[in-house]
Amino acid sequence: MKKNYGTWYTLPLAVWISLFFVIPIAIVLIYSVLTRDYTGGVIWKFSLDSFSALANSSFIRATATTVFIALVSTAITIVLALPVAYYMARSRSNTILLLLVVVPFWVNFLIRVYAWMAVLGQEGFLNDLIRWMGLTNEPVTFLFNIWAVIIVHVYAYLPYAILPLFTTIEKFDFGLLEAARDLGASHVKSLTKIMLPNVQSGIITAVLFTFIPILGSYAIPDLIGGTDSTMLGTIVALNLRTGNNWPLASAISVVLTIITSVGLLLYFLYNQRLEKVHLQFQEETK
Amino acid sequence: MTRRPRVSRAVYWAVVAFLFFPLLVLLFYSFNEGKGFQWMGFSLRWYQKLFSNSRELWASVENSLIIGLSAATVSTVIGTLGAIGLNWYKFFGKKYIQAVSFIPLILPEIVIGVSLLIFFASNLRGIGTVLDGLAATAPLGVAQLLMVLAIPFHVELGMGTILVAHISFTLPFVILMVLARLSEFDYSIIEAARDLGAKELDILFRIIIPISIPGILSGFLTAFTLSLEDFVVTLFVQGPNSQTLPLYIYGHVKKGLPPEVNAFSVILIVFTMVLMFSVRNLLKYMVKSK
Amino acid sequence: MKGSEVRVENVEKKFGEFNALKNVSLTIRKGEFFSLLGPSGCGKTTLLRIIAGFEDPSAGIVCLDEDNVVPLPPDRRHVNTVFQNYALFPHLTVFENIAFPLRLKKVPLAQIKDKVFRYLELVQLKGQERKKPNQLSGGQKQRVAIARALINEPSVLLLDEPLSALDAKLRQQLLMDLDLIHDEVGITFIYVTHDQSEALSVSDRVAVMSEGRVLQIGTPYEIYEAPADTFVAQFIGETNLLKGTITVRDGRFYTIDTLDMGPVMVTTDRAFEVGDEVVHAIRPEKIAITKQRPENLPPDWNVVKGKVFESIYSGFQSRFDVDNAAGYRFKVYKQHESYLEMGPEIKWTDEVWLSWDADDGYLVESTRL
Repeated sequence: MKKNYGTWYTLPLAVWISLFFVIPIAIVLIYSVLTRDYTGGVIWKFSLDSFSALANSSFIRATATTVFIALVSTAITIVLALPVAYYMARSRSNTILLLLVVVPFWVNFLIRVYAWMAVLGQEGFLNDLIRWMGLTNEPVTFLFNIWAVIIVHVYAYLPYAILPLFTTIEKFDFGLLEAARDLGASHVKSLTKIMLPNVQSGIITAVLFTFIPILGSYAIPDLIGGTDSTMLGTIVALNLRTGNNWPLASAISVVLTIITSVGLLLYFLYNQRLEKVHLQFQEETK
Repeated sequence: MTRRPRVSRAVYWAVVAFLFFPLLVLLFYSFNEGKGFQWMGFSLRWYQKLFSNSRELWASVENSLIIGLSAATVSTVIGTLGAIGLNWYKFFGKKYIQAVSFIPLILPEIVIGVSLLIFFASNLRGIGTVLDGLAATAPLGVAQLLMVLAIPFHVELGMGTILVAHISFTLPFVILMVLARLSEFDYSIIEAARDLGAKELDILFRIIIPISIPGILSGFLTAFTLSLEDFVVTLFVQGPNSQTLPLYIYGHVKKGLPPEVNAFSVILIVFTMVLMFSVRNLLKYMVKSK
Repeated sequence: MKGSEVRVENVEKKFGEFNALKNVSLTIRKGEFFSLLGPSGCGKTTLLRIIAGFEDPSAGIVCLDEDNVVPLPPDRRHVNTVFQNYALFPHLTVFENIAFPLRLKKVPLAQIKDKVFRYLELVQLKGQERKKPNQLSGGQKQRVAIARALINEPSVLLLDEPLSALDAKLRQQLLMDLDLIHDEVGITFIYVTHDQSEALSVSDRVAVMSEGRVLQIGTPYEIYEAPADTFVAQFIGETNLLKGTITVRDGRFYTIDTLDMGPVMVTTDRAFEVGDEVVHAIRPEKIAITKQRPENLPPDWNVVKGKVFESIYSGFQSRFDVDNAAGYRFKVYKQHESYLEMGPEIKWTDEVWLSWDADDGYLVESTRL
């Protein structure tokens, strides 16, 4: 390489990403420690008011709710996605099976959320069904609670978990399962002791792809949730859009970023450990 | 195989049923005579209304398409060039660009929305105001210059800010897809081209871009889809007269969506499926003819 | 003007702390088929890339005929490269791959066609011009790469392990074809390889490299029959090395007292003194192996008794590992020249006699690396 054009190729990207991503994020960091201006915006005076406001019980509850919803939804999603991906990977006609999973997601996200309102609503499909079967005459409230929020999150993020799992399980050597059976492992044991450890990277990617977006979720708790399912995203939007409390919105964003970063950090540390083990193994087998 | 995967097959079909179920419910209600979710009998009236009297809905679709196409185009150009630089060159600041380009991928969307809103609504305008203030006291000539400089800082929230936001969060996806394609090739084909007399622009237009077309296309499609899908970031940086489809749905959903949205969703599903299958076949055809 | 002379003078290349090339000098003659031979990591590819212009030397110059080309970029040198992995453009047909340099120069289409078809013929690929690279076999890809590198009519063609991805039989075929192409175009070929049989079979001269140095430059015959040091002797073919001290000198005849088999007689044209520490080398195929002690041997033959540790039959020849009393393991090849072997068959654990002419042995220096 004599002349270097790398700088030219990446210049537009560098400018764009610095101007419209790095600087705004830096501003959020700064705003989170400034004083609130009630007409919107900030007063340039250092203040930890917003962070002390975070110690407020309603905020702590929202954080707990958010983490709870994200954890439970992610867990359910992964538990469902694993056998789905496994079945797809072992099937010979996996393009069709893949398409069946992906097709529903060609529909706009909000329409999908709305579809659940049509299913769960007071005058929705389930209530129609119940009335038609004569189970009850009183409409049942399925919506506006934490479990509805979890169901819709699972619905919305299932493919994000299935796809990475599918790509890793597809690369797995299924002969190993037969070897395990041959050596006396039960079917379930061979899956949990042999396959799961080998597709760990896919599971971790799937967890990240579901857990992080759910952490910052706004539309689903806003439309599907009720008073018991206020999430951090809801509070951010409220403070920014109607409450004019920019420092608080910034502070919550910082908290969300920190929770995400901790997750990512764990992921990278784990990866590094894996790599180290791998290297050691290579050294030893030399 | 020792045993047919019975459990996983059952889970698979249950999940597929779960995924399709709410959409089938929408399909069902799109033929409902009544306005709400109570079944009043079969009718096509909402389909009629959709095509005769739903101006707001179609306007939002138009906005979504305009933003989607422009965001995907800009994002594809910037992202493709960036991916080429990141894949094949070493240069000052590479680590920074690598690290920073992928952060939007892993940050919760709402954080991106908040940061961009604050950036547009306060900082840029602040700079604009300062420049205007300086212009008021500056001597002639310099004053005009300052006022011109201040123009881009008087940002109005709307289509423009939505576009900028969408380009920002779709960029990492374009970069990823183009990078994935480029990594299939060895640097020696660039050296070969240079050895045979190609200048940098020849290499870019005759070699690099043609070989990365599949990556560029999937990057463009992903960016376009993500832009059409986006709700959270758009919600924050929107302005008057910039209602996109997701914003339209969100705006109406609480007081009950107009029933023609059911019909619209069904048509959208069918249209997307037709589009996706034709794109797939087109890609297959292109791969075959290679 | 056809081929160019390539002169490499005192070239050094450092990658950080690593010295890839240490003061390399060599002159490649006009129109020569010259090989750079050495194990992986010896610097041969780095040297090639410096001649091509993909890398700058840390010190030294490279001259094409009279001109120093170090400041010139690859496209300004009359040098083209055939890459190890072919480096064909995957989106272009065979025709367009070969036509690529002409398209860049905006040559009229009629001329392009004319020329491309001439080179397609040269590499025996007529009729394949509409195919894409992924529809070609490895050998065909390599031919396209060669035609593409030749179409600019360079005065030097650089080949970076061009056959390493092909299987053995195809490699032989392509090597012969490459030799024919070289005769046809008459330019200088510089051929990088780690395979000694490739280098020996087609080259006019070979440079053996190791750890960034050129150890020996010579014709294939010189390199094989008179390697300069123990590294070259061991790297080119197989050999038996016996370390020792010169005890007697009688004209061309030397007697060496070796640790592993006592006194050994050898002739050499190189000048050594009594008392010099040397290494005596003898190729396995130059050793005769018999069950009886050979009789009526001339006085300048060496004889040693041993026991067969292993015998491997491989059709046209057998290979024996034979241990002598001191525990040194000789490698011996025996050609099966006729179906009816002379004498009884030699088997595992048989006692045997090894013998060779003092003229077949040679002295090498210990490699100073």
